Amino acid sequence: MNIPSYYEFCNKVKCLSGHNALEKLPDILASVNSKKPMIITDKGVMGAKLITPVEKALGKIKHGGIFDDVPADSDVKTVQEIAAKYRSAKCDSIIAVGGGSVLDTAKGVNILVSENSNNLMDFVGFGALKRKLKPLIAVPTTSGTGSELTLVAVIADHQRDVKMLFPSLFLLPDFAILDSRMTKTLPPAITAATAMDALTHACEAYTCLAKNPLSDTTALMAIKLISENILRAIKKPDDMDARLALATGSALAGMSFSNSMVGMVHAIGHSIGAICHVPHGVCMSILLPYGLEYNLHKSGHLTAELLFALRGEEVYSKTKKSDRPGLTISTIRELNSQLRQATGGKHPTCLREVVDRDGNLMIPREVLPEIARLSLNDGALVYNPEELNYSDMLMVLEKAWECEPLDLKKIKKGKKTSEI
Amino acid sequence: MNIAKYPEIKSTSKRLKKIYVAIMLWIVGRAIAAAAKVDREVKEEFKGLDDKFMMHLHVLPSGPGMIVGKDKNGKVKYMGWNPAGKKITLDMKIKNIEAAMLMFTFQESTCVASAHNRLAVSGNVPDTMAFIRILNIVETYLLPKVITSLAVKRYPKWSEMNPLRKHLGRILIYIRTFTF
Repeated sequence: MNIPSYYEFCNKVKCLSGHNALEKLPDILASVNSKKPMIITDKGVMGAKLITPVEKALGKIKHGGIFDDVPADSDVKTVQEIAAKYRSAKCDSIIAVGGGSVLDTAKGVNILVSENSNNLMDFVGFGALKRKLKPLIAVPTTSGTGSELTLVAVIADHQRDVKMLFPSLFLLPDFAILDSRMTKTLPPAITAATAMDALTHACEAYTCLAKNPLSDTTALMAIKLISENILRAIKKPDDMDARLALATGSALAGMSFSNSMVGMVHAIGHSIGAICHVPHGVCMSILLPYGLEYNLHKSGHLTAELLFALRGEEVYSKTKKSDRPGLTISTIRELNSQLRQATGGKHPTCLREVVDRDGNLMIPREVLPEIARLSLNDGALVYNPEELNYSDMLMVLEKAWECEPLDLKKIKKGKKTSEI
Repeated sequence: MNIAKYPEIKSTSKRLKKIYVAIMLWIVGRAIAAAAKVDREVKEEFKGLDDKFMMHLHVLPSGPGMIVGKDKNGKVKYMGWNPAGKKITLDMKIKNIEAAMLMFTFQESTCVASAHNRLAVSGNVPDTMAFIRILNIVETYLLPKVITSLAVKRYPKWSEMNPLRKHLGRILIYIRTFTF
């Protein structure tokens, strides 16, 4: 095993996981001396009545209000609006209940209220935040983004049409509560997409350039938990153990990629999301096998190791060393097909299968060149093992659109570093 | 014993490393400005950058460094090492001189250096990505294949940079780097 000559790993989130983990909420608030938390959430969470267990758990503690108008894409205006309400209600901590957008919005609000500012732009980029923020408690209601254990917030400025990145160790929540009740009502298609998003975080964390032994450990455990429980949770949504395992897998994957970054799958996925507004998890599930395939000559030996976590000891030991990377990739493709079946065709396996509620194609073939161009400017590409230029991007996108595997002979290869 | 009698011994190797990195930064900075005139791909990359683009690549805590940016007429120029009075739009900091040595002796590519947390960047991400692509092209021109292969993920294939373009470009960039 190659240990990098230098790496950094930090995670200081206290994680509480269990079927009734929310009941610990009063203790947590007391431990940070908070008497009036603000709850940030979205309409989906309210509609699914997921706030009820949170309010019940709070008991006699009076919260400073529930803000439930977070949009699907967290944005600057919403952050400013919530920060104003936080100040006027004189709150002293934040409980964020929701998916990635809610958690990122809460992180943005925490910046403004802690720094007593109204301008998020002052805190863009590494090193902008210098001190500890107000207590933040993250309660994820999807098992995908891992935002409850990451140090980044992505917040859009729709006026300037840009997404801003706020990376700082101070943005790590103080607590993450993984309670199986919070993901129980997640529909099968969303369960599939979000879990595949988490699986992608773990696979890219393990195979890209900034990997390190600590991120590897969390990535492998995340893959094992997700692959063993994803179909179980979809076929039996009430299986609370499977739900909790997925939530834990997602949090572990978040911890992993937060310390090792991700690669081309995310670079392309971000661009598809920006141009076609396709949910992030859907892009990830389709593109993951292509990312692993494209990098085979660089990180095939690492892709081979993923097989152990994906399929278990028996399959791993029975498979010839040289066949392991290929089997890893075909296992992920097969998993996508099984998810498509289990969700009644709602989980797409290639880009041309992605449709909106009315059945319209969300990614027309004509936009692939635009996606390819935009992807070249995504920071995740830095950490991808192999280089990608415009024509490489387009090749990957076209194959992912057509549902065909990559032609390995057509990949322009740099120096081979895979031991397989 | 009076220790004040004995002067502090300063590391000469650190000084030599700083001199080496300063020379490399000077060459790379001037070569980037030269490549912006000679190579169409570099030209295109700069065209896509803001008119006020100004990049400062420097070693923490106290240099050396180099600045490349667009002047009032939009021409790409090497602008020396001193950022005073210049509005830097992309600030790339190499965290220490040892990290800079790894990069400039081509033991580590820019991407691997980023992956190993040796670089800190302030500025927008698309500009950073464009600059990394420019740096890769310039390294291909400046260095022989055997060394460039260590500094980039993939040495350009024939279809991406044919030998005529490479050798002619190399000559022109070297001439412009050391003469104009």
